[in-house]
Amino acid sequence: MPLLLGSYAPDIMSKWFVYGIHIGGWDLKASDPVQFHRGWPGVGFTHSLLYGVVIAFIFWRLLGSKTWAISFLIGQWAHAITDTGDTVGTMLFFPWTIHIHFGAWAYAGQTGRMTDAAAYFSGLGGVWDAVWIVYGIFSWRVLTRSYFEQHVFTADQFWSRANRYLPVTALLVVYRAAFFYGTSRWIAWTLWAHAVHHYPYDLSWGGPHWVQAEHSKSLSGPQLAGVAGIIVAVVALAYASRRVLARREPRPDAAEPQ
Amino acid sequence: MSGTPQHGVSRLRAPEFVRERPSKRQLAVFAGYVIAAAVYVAIGVFYTDFLLSVFVGTAYLLLVAWLVPAGVRRLF
Repeated sequence: MPLLLGSYAPDIMSKWFVYGIHIGGWDLKASDPVQFHRGWPGVGFTHSLLYGVVIAFIFWRLLGSKTWAISFLIGQWAHAITDTGDTVGTMLFFPWTIHIHFGAWAYAGQTGRMTDAAAYFSGLGGVWDAVWIVYGIFSWRVLTRSYFEQHVFTADQFWSRANRYLPVTALLVVYRAAFFYGTSRWIAWTLWAHAVHHYPYDLSWGGPHWVQAEHSKSLSGPQLAGVAGIIVAVVALAYASRRVLARREPRPDAAEPQ
Repeated sequence: MSGTPQHGVSRLRAPEFVRERPSKRQLAVFAGYVIAAAVYVAIGVFYTDFLLSVFVGTAYLLLVAWLVPAGVRRLF
């Protein structure tokens, strides 16, 4: 549950304002949707690694659950890192406000919900989603009742609390709903874009090129060096922490004290 | 050489979790979800608002995969 929440967290409060909504006589939409969604000033910090760490820390302190904290972090990081695949990218290392972007698929959020969906499911973004659906199908065992009861239900107190109001059968349906929803909407949007509206596929890098995509500036040499420095520092820190932890653990062949 | 067993050379074999196949009951449950997905997709293609919320998707699945079957079981 927290992993799902984390995966939605970056966009959960902001996407409606990017696409715009019409309520009564009012049109509510960001004047600069890309800046608002992914930039600073804006809510682009929700797509950063630090944002995930802060919310995970709050979960850990408030709920006292490391499972919730780590699961939320994995979900939020997965979203933030995945969005670096488009042409705008994310401020992954916020408060450093450069946009990490690989430009594999077009960012078209500013064009509105429908065109954005059509573009996403016509380019490599849709293909990337399909990779995860296939991975999910190969991992079908995690969707079985026995797996849910033995591993998921026992690991997260959310389920035992929800079990006061709903039977396990209903909770199993809720658990499966994430994969069901992700897969079904992928199929539905793909059919909508290609069978109903005949948008052309364009699986080239940065495509589809029929949509007016937004782009971030390419990183300069010093910025690339800075990113590489951060990655090297994190890997070195992780390696050093592992060594320290390994030294603290007693060696299995150490003699028992007499 | 040919036709003789090669001792000490292990054959490449898929790991247990890959070779494991779903039971008939699991396949029947899966078929139910496929039908539910087909209906969801059919509605969603023509009424895209239906696709926008994970909460709507979850509510729909609870309805068709739990509430309706539970109601039918209670009736008959």
